[in-house]
Amino acid sequence: MSALLARVPRRTVLPAVAGIVLLVVAADAIGRLGLAGAAWPTVTDVVDYLTSPTAQTLLGRALAATGTAAAIGFVAGGLGALALALLGALLPAAGPGLDRLAAVVHAVPLIALAPLLVTTVGREGTSTVIAALAAGFAVFVAATSALASTARAGRDVFAVLGASRLSTVLRLQLPAGLPTIVDGLTLAAPAAVLGAVIGEWFGARRGLGVLLVSAMQNVQIPLLWSAALSAAALSLAAYVLLVALRGWVTRRFT
Amino acid sequence: MSQPAIALQSVVKEFPLRRGTAVRALDRFDLQIADGEFVAVLGPSGCGKSTVLRLVAGLDTPSEGTVTIEGARPADLVRGHRLGVAFQEHALLPWASARANVELPWKVAGRPVDTARVDELLELVGLTGFADARPRQLSGGMRQRVAIARALALTPDVLLLDEPFGALDAVTRRRMNLELARIWAEERITTLLVTHDVDEAVLLADRVVVMTGRPGRVRHTESIDFPRPRRTEVTRDPAFHEIVDRLTRLLDESDEPGHSDAAA
Ligand SMILES: Nc1ncnc2c1ncn2[C@@H]1O[C@H](COP(=O)(O)OP(=O)(O)OP(=O)(O)O)[C@@H](O)[C@H]1O
Ligand SMILES: [Mg+2]
Repeated sequence: MSALLARVPRRTVLPAVAGIVLLVVAADAIGRLGLAGAAWPTVTDVVDYLTSPTAQTLLGRALAATGTAAAIGFVAGGLGALALALLGALLPAAGPGLDRLAAVVHAVPLIALAPLLVTTVGREGTSTVIAALAAGFAVFVAATSALASTARAGRDVFAVLGASRLSTVLRLQLPAGLPTIVDGLTLAAPAAVLGAVIGEWFGARRGLGVLLVSAMQNVQIPLLWSAALSAAALSLAAYVLLVALRGWVTRRFT
Repeated sequence: MSQPAIALQSVVKEFPLRRGTAVRALDRFDLQIADGEFVAVLGPSGCGKSTVLRLVAGLDTPSEGTVTIEGARPADLVRGHRLGVAFQEHALLPWASARANVELPWKVAGRPVDTARVDELLELVGLTGFADARPRQLSGGMRQRVAIARALALTPDVLLLDEPFGALDAVTRRRMNLELARIWAEERITTLLVTHDVDEAVLLADRVVVMTGRPGRVRHTESIDFPRPRRTEVTRDPAFHEIVDRLTRLLDESDEPGHSDAAA
């Protein structure tokens, strides 16, 4: 992982660090001056809270639960979407139907699926399934367009070699489309985290989503902010990791 | 000449443009290539050379007329994995090494890779030391040589070459021509070479066909009788230059404006 992170160009690190420092200072100032009311804590309040052992076990457990749901959802949704996109490339007759299905799934607000999911996969599974649907849609869109946009020159080579459709998809379209597919993954990872958090609002026992809701109801401002920051950090970590992966894939496959 | 290996009979090819209009790339184009013959097609840019090659490869179908290979449709040859093509753009897989690119025809055909043959081909095109290099680590000429090795991989019955040395400087190009002449002398595959380089055509082919400007038609056919294997001495032969000059003049006239775009 450190090897992957080392690939993030240094040029982007310095402005990022400067931006973060500026943001923290501004947030602290707003809290101290009470500019945004009582619901905006000072940064020191949040940091104080984060250093307490109880907070750490609480957040750690929630982070683990949400992270697991998001990760399983990301992998399962991503693989499922990739399989569907490959199917669409192999059976052109099925392509438009699959596109429409994906559009319908996307058009239904994920939150509207929750009642249905709670009764089918249960309270704990809902969060994973919503994460999978959110990530899967991003991957499906990216993979479908990636597989369809292979350069004509490559297709001609496979055509005159007498390649079967399966062989063309696996040996040409998929590797040629990998950079675009990984682009889709970088969008899918934050979507999976968001999906997992939302999914937890429907009766999960633990998770950042659960903490967010209960902290809000009990006006536990530092906890609320700590949970929100944890969710953002999780999402950001996944994103950074995938951007590094994208760099590697782009270099390897183009 | 018994049954020709490749036969194009009064082939017309039109590409639809906007609604109702079409560009006529080929107009009653006739060409027959005998078994084991090397034919070069010369013509100005845009006259339909690549179109001829794509028709023979089965990548396009003629608007009128017929294209047959060994009496059957090009698709039948393709299905038997008996066609080798090197395209104008080399079109190698960028993620695969030179060796893996040459191995591709076996993998696509679902046959076990003949490693000895791959080694032999890499040696033939002078890339033994670059077997593990990826295309972008190779020079333009090396990439084109990989593409030629890939086209030759399954010892095809028919070889189609579309300006395989198009992007090269004159010196490298001549060296590659001589290498191809040597390779061809060993394999003797029925070959159709498309080019706009007159020297290249005369050096390599048994017969040179000069096309008119678009819409492309056969303007002139010239038999080239220099003995094989042809080496660099051939290019110093006065007879060679006489032929080159004659064909260049024909090509010049083909390139004149006035060949209007046919609209259908
Ligand atoms: N897919 C296509 N759609 C529309 N027009 C096309 C298509 N392919 C070729 N043409 C037209 O047909 C004509 C012949 O094209 P072709 O590629 O065969 O020329 P060429 O002789 O190979 O030229 P060059 O020497 O520049 O490679 C051109 O006018 C081109 O615009
Ligand atoms: Mg061309």
